[in-house]
Amino acid sequence: MSRTRVAALAVAVASVPLLLAGCGIQETDPIEAGGPATVEAFYNRDDDMMLFFRTPDGGLNPVLRTVRPSAGFGGDYVESDPGTTPGPPSTEKTVLALLAGPREEDRAAGLTTALPPARPGTTVTVKTTPGGTVTTGLPFPLKALNTTARRQLTCTIAYSQAADGQAVVKLTGQDGASSSDTCGLAP
Amino acid sequence: MPRSRGITDRRSRIRAFGLRTRLLAAFLLVAAVSAGTTSALTYREARNALLKTTQDTAVATFREQVQQTGFGLPIQGEGLEEVLRDLARKGKPRPWVVFAEYGSLRASSGENPVSTVITPQLRRAAQANPYGGFERVVKDGVPYLTIAMPTVFRTGPYSTLPSGLVLYAVMRMTDEQINVDALLTAARDGALPGLAVALVPGLIAARSVLRPVRELRRAASSMGSGRLDTRIAVRGNDELADLAATFNESASHLEDSVNELREAEARARRFASDVSHELRTPLAGMLAVTEVLDEDADHLDADTARAVRLVSAETGKLAVLVEDLMEISRFDARAAELNADEVDVAEAIRKTLQNRHWHEDDRVHAELPAGIRARLDPRRFDVVIANLVGNALRHGGAPVTVGLRTGERPKGTPVLITEVTDRGPGIRPESIPYIFDRFYKADAARTRSAGSGLGLAITQENVRLHGGTIRAGNRPDGGAVFTVEIPLDTGEATA
Repeated sequence: MSRTRVAALAVAVASVPLLLAGCGIQETDPIEAGGPATVEAFYNRDDDMMLFFRTPDGGLNPVLRTVRPSAGFGGDYVESDPGTTPGPPSTEKTVLALLAGPREEDRAAGLTTALPPARPGTTVTVKTTPGGTVTTGLPFPLKALNTTARRQLTCTIAYSQAADGQAVVKLTGQDGASSSDTCGLAP
Repeated sequence: MPRSRGITDRRSRIRAFGLRTRLLAAFLLVAAVSAGTTSALTYREARNALLKTTQDTAVATFREQVQQTGFGLPIQGEGLEEVLRDLARKGKPRPWVVFAEYGSLRASSGENPVSTVITPQLRRAAQANPYGGFERVVKDGVPYLTIAMPTVFRTGPYSTLPSGLVLYAVMRMTDEQINVDALLTAARDGALPGLAVALVPGLIAARSVLRPVRELRRAASSMGSGRLDTRIAVRGNDELADLAATFNESASHLEDSVNELREAEARARRFASDVSHELRTPLAGMLAVTEVLDEDADHLDADTARAVRLVSAETGKLAVLVEDLMEISRFDARAAELNADEVDVAEAIRKTLQNRHWHEDDRVHAELPAGIRARLDPRRFDVVIANLVGNALRHGGAPVTVGLRTGERPKGTPVLITEVTDRGPGIRPESIPYIFDRFYKADAARTRSAGSGLGLAITQENVRLHGGTIRAGNRPDGGAVFTVEIPLDTGEATA
């Protein structure tokens, strides 16, 4: 080996630690660090409906709608809907609320719906089979709905049926077409 | 002298890339690599630990604080900034700026609702997976820690659902940068003295190698100049000590061989001297007898007379040869003494020529400037001149010229220069190196000559005894020239 090559090798060896270290504080890629933060959203299954609307980036955000104040809360008396019964709001009502579209405060946060607006007087039928599948009859043809609309329906129905939203939802349209899916939003 | 300059050149080149330089370089390199690696690794670990502590604390704190907040869904723009400002105040280890993103809502605890530091990658990661995350970003030379914290809420006792709200915290890492810079300075300041310290063992190691090598060189050159009893002290038990021991052994063998050779040579010379001594006495008798026979040769018959004269002449030659042999033996035994006296050189030469009856011989010319005085042994100088002139008359051609002048050697020593030139055919160039050898015959065909064959050898020894030199050569216009240079010891005193 020539003297020059030895010198080059020496320089390379000597510069290895420098390369190893880098200097100062370096940039990093995004690094995962623990789970998400669990915040208090004041959700009460007995009093609140949970609807899913579309965010500007194409995702789904849950929105809570209080159907009646909880009993004894602050002592305020609000006239309750005489047609309601105790327990969680029914899935039919929840789906109708979803079809009614986002309210003012939802739209303020940029939330929209992909579903067609419901004509007054439309009805939704919900049937629960023992296997855990929820079959829902819709007042419009299913093939008119895009993926986001179907996911809005699926998640709203699933979380209306169970707190963990794990139910299998079967959507049936007026055209007789049907599709089955789960919500899958839970972490 | 090109040879000695070559040696010095080589030595200085050896010094430039010498053992010391190489050993020091190797030590420094090893020290640099180890100190550099150690401090670099230490620095890296310390820095990473420092940053990790900061990041973990910040992420954990941020999550904890976010978990203490509550939001109605959908989240409303009003009042959101209040919550964010409250979060920002509680930042740990330092206050941070908190940003919130929900649907199309953008809010922050600072002046701008949207951060310029948070990267799209972090945003995408936070929206795709409901996991907390962080990213270090350097913007305009300032390092920032950005934390993304997606939020979920409970839908049941065991289930959670992403709320769609993602909170971001942005914290400047200036304190960390100061600490990391301090670490870097400490690592560097730790490594540099290490290098300096490494010089000391490097120098010691170089010394321990170089000292024996230097001694070896000194011993070798001392042996080269003839001191065969030179030995090296063998220290320690390493390879260099082995080398020194081997050197001593070889030197001892060499000394033995040389001593043997010298003894053999001395014996041979003693033998020659003894032989010539032993021959002298019978020769003296023989000379006396041949002189008588010579005188009576005229009365003998022609053949006997010729034989008697031949025996007489050869006996005379033999006597001269024995005398010359004894003279040479004295030189060999270093028994020749210089009886120097300050003489007028021109006068001395003239006397020599007169004694040989050459002053009236027109074959011999003398060009002798007066007034040159030198310290010479008159007898030996006489032998030198007589031998050279006799040699020129015998082998060269007339006229023979004896020249005398003073000159200077290249070093500036004044010398007496005596030149004996002839007009003969000159000396054959291949013979010049051997012309002063004993019994050397310049003309191979002439096996017998009038001289003993020792004349020039004796001349050279005599000149050497004066501290001078003798050279043989040819003149450009033909003829041999013998030049004798003898230092003028008294030249300065008389001038």
